[in-house]
Amino acid sequence: MKTTFCSTLAILALTTGIAHAQLVIEPGSDDRINWASLDEFAAAHPDLEGQSFNILGPWLGGDQELFQSVIAYFNEVTGARANYSGSDSFEQQIVIDSEAGSPPDMAVFPQPGLASDLAARGFLRPLGQETADWLVENYAAGESWAALGTYADQDGTEQLFAFPYKADVKSLVWYVPENFEDAGYDVPETYEDLKALTEQIAADGETPWCIGLGSGGATGWPATDWVEDLMLRTATPEQYDAWTTNEMPFNDPVVVNAIEEFGWFAKNPDFVAGGTGSVAATDFRESPGGLFASPPACYLHRQASFITTFFPEGTVVGEDADFFYMPAPASGDLGQPVLGGGTMFAVLSDNPAAMAFVEFLKTPAAHEVWMAQQGFVTPFSGANPEAYDDPTVRRMGEILLDATVFRFDGSDLMPGAIGAGAFWTGMVDFVGGASAQDVADRIQSTWSSLD
Amino acid sequence: MELLWLAVSTIAIGVFGCVAWFWGSNWILDRIFPPRGPNAGDNIRRAGQIRPWLFLGPAILFLGTYLVYPVLDSFWRSLFNANGTRLVGASNYTWLAQDAKFRESMVNNMLWLLVVPALSTLFGLLAAQLTDRLKWGNIGKSLIFMPMAISFVGAGVIWKFIYEYRASGETQIGLLNWIVTTMGGQPQLWLTLPGWNNFFLMIVLVWIQTGFAMVILSAALRGIPEETIEAAILDGASPLQVFFKIKVPQIMGTIAVVWTTITIVVLKVFDIVFVMTNGQWGTQVLANLMYDWMFRGTPDYGRGSAIAIVLMILVTPIMVWNIYNARKEVR
Repeated sequence: MKTTFCSTLAILALTTGIAHAQLVIEPGSDDRINWASLDEFAAAHPDLEGQSFNILGPWLGGDQELFQSVIAYFNEVTGARANYSGSDSFEQQIVIDSEAGSPPDMAVFPQPGLASDLAARGFLRPLGQETADWLVENYAAGESWAALGTYADQDGTEQLFAFPYKADVKSLVWYVPENFEDAGYDVPETYEDLKALTEQIAADGETPWCIGLGSGGATGWPATDWVEDLMLRTATPEQYDAWTTNEMPFNDPVVVNAIEEFGWFAKNPDFVAGGTGSVAATDFRESPGGLFASPPACYLHRQASFITTFFPEGTVVGEDADFFYMPAPASGDLGQPVLGGGTMFAVLSDNPAAMAFVEFLKTPAAHEVWMAQQGFVTPFSGANPEAYDDPTVRRMGEILLDATVFRFDGSDLMPGAIGAGAFWTGMVDFVGGASAQDVADRIQSTWSSLD
Repeated sequence: MELLWLAVSTIAIGVFGCVAWFWGSNWILDRIFPPRGPNAGDNIRRAGQIRPWLFLGPAILFLGTYLVYPVLDSFWRSLFNANGTRLVGASNYTWLAQDAKFRESMVNNMLWLLVVPALSTLFGLLAAQLTDRLKWGNIGKSLIFMPMAISFVGAGVIWKFIYEYRASGETQIGLLNWIVTTMGGQPQLWLTLPGWNNFFLMIVLVWIQTGFAMVILSAALRGIPEETIEAAILDGASPLQVFFKIKVPQIMGTIAVVWTTITIVVLKVFDIVFVMTNGQWGTQVLANLMYDWMFRGTPDYGRGSAIAIVLMILVTPIMVWNIYNARKEVR
């Protein structure tokens, strides 16, 4: 507790210093950025001069600096002072601070589940129907995004409480273009093609997939991402939603089918590098290494955008390694579903400047400034895709913009005991030989036992 | 730097505070009841009655705050729901009784209880006896004792490397799989072999605890009166007979203390399982299960506390027996 307090102090001290830092891109200098939107925003909020408020969030290090570079524009055009502080135990701190009656004015939630919990206990301020409509109109798959921030309040009325900003794309399959060229494989367009490609690679005597579920205490989570992605490709988005809230039981045939679909890839010894046994034992950070072995240990690797960090040093994404959208089935009509994650902004106090900050996040510039730096993907169709500094990230952004359905990482929406517990261990058991039905039954029985 | 400063000042304040308390309280007591003057006798008697409480006071206070209160609070919490907002009575315990993971943990803990104290004590006793009169015995003992100096987490990491698996054909970086493949076998996923993996984890604790058993038992062996052994030898007893019929019975009390001490360690085993398998592949144990419910994902204080209470109830009788045996030894 003491160390948390001390480090918060240190971070506060740091942030106040950075608040006066120079703007990273001189306003007006970069024509990819919609500077006019900033001026319009400032003109619409003339009375913020001298006001200040705090934002608490999970971003530290590089992300913290990048977010502060965005805040700097808000401070500049309004004359207000937004102070961001990051915490590596955000999830605990926000609950403690709220219950202690000293919440930050604004918080950045990495998991909608937590925000929904706080909304139900009356700690969050509704953002209004206007903002909900704005999301539906301006975000790709806007209904999905608006639904993500809509929770029941204390009285059980559903309202928009959280504003999504900064997304991650998870539905990505990584490959090495050179290996594909050598072997004469094409990037699959449909889910059926992907399975055909898998079979073809195996028939050629090669190994199609590298899958690693190991992650220390969190072993199993990469499999939950697989199952979520496959749920979106074998079931309707409504079924997906019902699954994450347990309206549809975990052992429903639809879910069991998605788990078995994952088993089609992971439980066939010819389809995974090192055989089925090594799937659960391989660390997810080491797993993509097989793509770059010579001869390649595998040709495909499904993982979220952050995995590039664990590629061999010097790998240039876009040349040495590339990705494609985990394709949707051609049959049926499930559209182009994208699985992802993201952060949500919520207001916790009556501070008008904090409310204005939500308006600020609706300006294209608030997105473009971060896009022009690094590590930011947005579903906001009003933001200029040209602003992405990195062509690879731009393509991820395009995947989000093309999405007809966006769904948040399902395990993050489930209660912790399931999404960060029983679901993980269940997947490990499944890969270890248990049947999909048994695993699903066990997870459901844990879920039923929660109150 | 800031942390270092904090640590140093904490130590300084702690040490100085202790000295100040004992010296200061003693001094004040002597001022109130001076051991001289007309009532010297009475004063010395009164001071003598108060002094132990003065010296024990801080310990009693801190033990109360940090030991008794948490136990009571854990029990109280175990009667509430996940976030402690609603009294749910014994339902956390009825849930435990029906939970498959809890049953798995109980079975595994029982296995650990049977295997680890027995093997550690046995190996410790053997090592103590065999190295007793050897010239290089002390070197041997030091080697066996060394794992005691490694933290459980460190030991877990070391042994995780020993069991490390690479697909057949790749270079094996795990010692065990390297041996197996060199002998022409197939590499094995030791830590995921159902049933067996529990024993692979237990070996780690045996490896650590054998040294402890050896040191204590070796001292006990030395303490056996020479006359009894000489008498047995004169009567024509073989070395094995001397060991089993003369030595072991005489150190039975010590063996019991060593056994129970290791048993308590085993019941609380957490680090090794957490580091090596995190309770997956059927290796869950109580302490790790408690940690899972308490801290993973959204914390469930009710269930975590309920498991903690079960663990405490299991440890208590063994601890009592351990203290009883240790006191018997002293007498």
